[in-house]
Amino acid sequence: MPSHFTLCIIVLIALALFGLPIGLSMICASVFYLLVAGLDLGTAGEQILNGLFNSYVLLAVPLFILAADLMNSGSLTDRLLKFCLVLVGRFRGGLGHVNVVANIIFAGMSGSAIADAVGIGKIIIGMMTRNGKYPIEYAAAITASAAIIGPIIPPSIPMVVYALVSDTSIGYLFLGGVIPGLLLGVAFMIMNTVIARRRNYPVEPPVPMREIPRITLDAFPALMLPVVLLFGIYGGVMTPTEGAAAAAAYALLASSLIYRSISLKQLYAILLSSAKSTTSVGMLIAGALVFNYVVTIENVPLSVQHFIAGFHLTALGYLLLVNAILLFLGCLLEGTTILLVIVPIMIPTAKALGIDLVHFGVVVVVNIMIGLLTPPFGLLLFVVANMTKKPLMSIVREATPFIFVAIVVLAIISFVPQTVLWLPRVMGYKG
Amino acid sequence: MDPVKPSNTLSIGSWLRKRAENVIVALFAIMFISFLLQIAFRYVLDRPLGWTDEVVVLCWVWLVLWGAAFILSDKDEIRFDIVYELVSPRARHTFTLISSLALVVLFAVSLPAAWGYVLFMKREKSAYLGMRFDYLYSIYVIFAIACIVKHGWIAWNAFRGRESPEVDVLDESERI
Repeated sequence: MPSHFTLCIIVLIALALFGLPIGLSMICASVFYLLVAGLDLGTAGEQILNGLFNSYVLLAVPLFILAADLMNSGSLTDRLLKFCLVLVGRFRGGLGHVNVVANIIFAGMSGSAIADAVGIGKIIIGMMTRNGKYPIEYAAAITASAAIIGPIIPPSIPMVVYALVSDTSIGYLFLGGVIPGLLLGVAFMIMNTVIARRRNYPVEPPVPMREIPRITLDAFPALMLPVVLLFGIYGGVMTPTEGAAAAAAYALLASSLIYRSISLKQLYAILLSSAKSTTSVGMLIAGALVFNYVVTIENVPLSVQHFIAGFHLTALGYLLLVNAILLFLGCLLEGTTILLVIVPIMIPTAKALGIDLVHFGVVVVVNIMIGLLTPPFGLLLFVVANMTKKPLMSIVREATPFIFVAIVVLAIISFVPQTVLWLPRVMGYKG
Repeated sequence: MDPVKPSNTLSIGSWLRKRAENVIVALFAIMFISFLLQIAFRYVLDRPLGWTDEVVVLCWVWLVLWGAAFILSDKDEIRFDIVYELVSPRARHTFTLISSLALVVLFAVSLPAAWGYVLFMKREKSAYLGMRFDYLYSIYVIFAIACIVKHGWIAWNAFRGRESPEVDVLDESERI
């Protein structure tokens, strides 16, 4: 007779495979567990309600979603891209660089890779493929790849979720992502240069000097958002959650007053679409709240810890193992699910091996972002494939060099914790 | 939507859906505005408000469960559909029938206990606004009943061999 917990896992996997949404599958499997274990069935509702009610930090999630939606709806993205063209357009493979740099700047205001790929991709893919300058597949691939920088450079929705499951400081996690995010940007630009030289991709005509002040001024309100946000959070003025609200308010003001590109009707549509996104992430969180309760009363993290201890792994060995497991799971599962269900099981062992949890968190988030690029289940691939109407695999082929360099960066930040921890420590992190 | 349904049911359905959307947009807007008030009062006017914390959290709980109950269709939700996508429509119907029935049974079995928990919470009141927790938490019961009805309907459709809600892997709502 298999244990109650084994049965619960079987039910979970079966329901998810049968196409039930993952959040609901987790709720059902947990109720099933409570039923067979003879526990109080009201626990499911209790865990969800109390969990949601007491997770104040999670409120950053809907607000960052709203901020990103507001920015994408205005002409903010457009102006930002023009500005990036001035910066890096004149190098070989110029628009590829523009794509990466725009994503780095955008990353400073948005916490979601999918939102970045949609917002920036809508415009840049058109720019790159006009007059057959770049193959569509390449434009799609670099757009998807560069978008993973979004949640690595603060703010970051996945890091908010990680902070919830690991009890680490959102502020320090955010800071920890800055250097890895910039490293990724540099790695992508190097790869873009290599490919552009080999395939002789064009340079962009230089922007006339006299237009530069106007373009910069145009982009200025957009460029100020990351500054406002980071200054607000690290100057101690706001909590990250309030920072998210301030970012959304700023984006709303910028797009309605300065850029005059938003109507009331659009605002309603944006609120609705943000609310929908919030609900679908919220359901995953709700499911994870009950399921993690089951995992906790079954003492799973402790068993995993004992099991891993049997192998006498070093901290580094464990990090490598975690990276391998997550890269594999990233091909199959959606990122939030991994963060909410798998990562909590890995955290106690990391702690026991003396791995810093901010370091661990940033490594995990970078890893999960790479998972968004790996087939068969890479959400970013779906986004750009849908946008360009090109077959998924042709985009994957073009994205492979970028996935490769991203994994190199992942290895660097795993082996050299200082790449992550230096900046938080400068800002007072005691870990 | 199901084309076989009579048109007046459909129009009532879409009218209700629009109102449900109004509610969720209102919840989101209230949450956003309360946050801004909180920041303004704490840092600009130096007079921290307590109630805003409660309002935003309340809106968040209702937003998630209300949205899951009335706004999201299955295809809007995050799911693992690699296998589901590969099999024949017939097998898909069987999959849907089994998973939806499982949900209906499990939710129905746990409903009385959930109801009991919500009622039990009537003794507690929120710290600032003094709202009774059974009212605040009643959204869970609404959510559970809506799920039972929705998945009962999906299971029934699958049983009759009708197309279950279309699977679309890319949706704006998948964000992270």
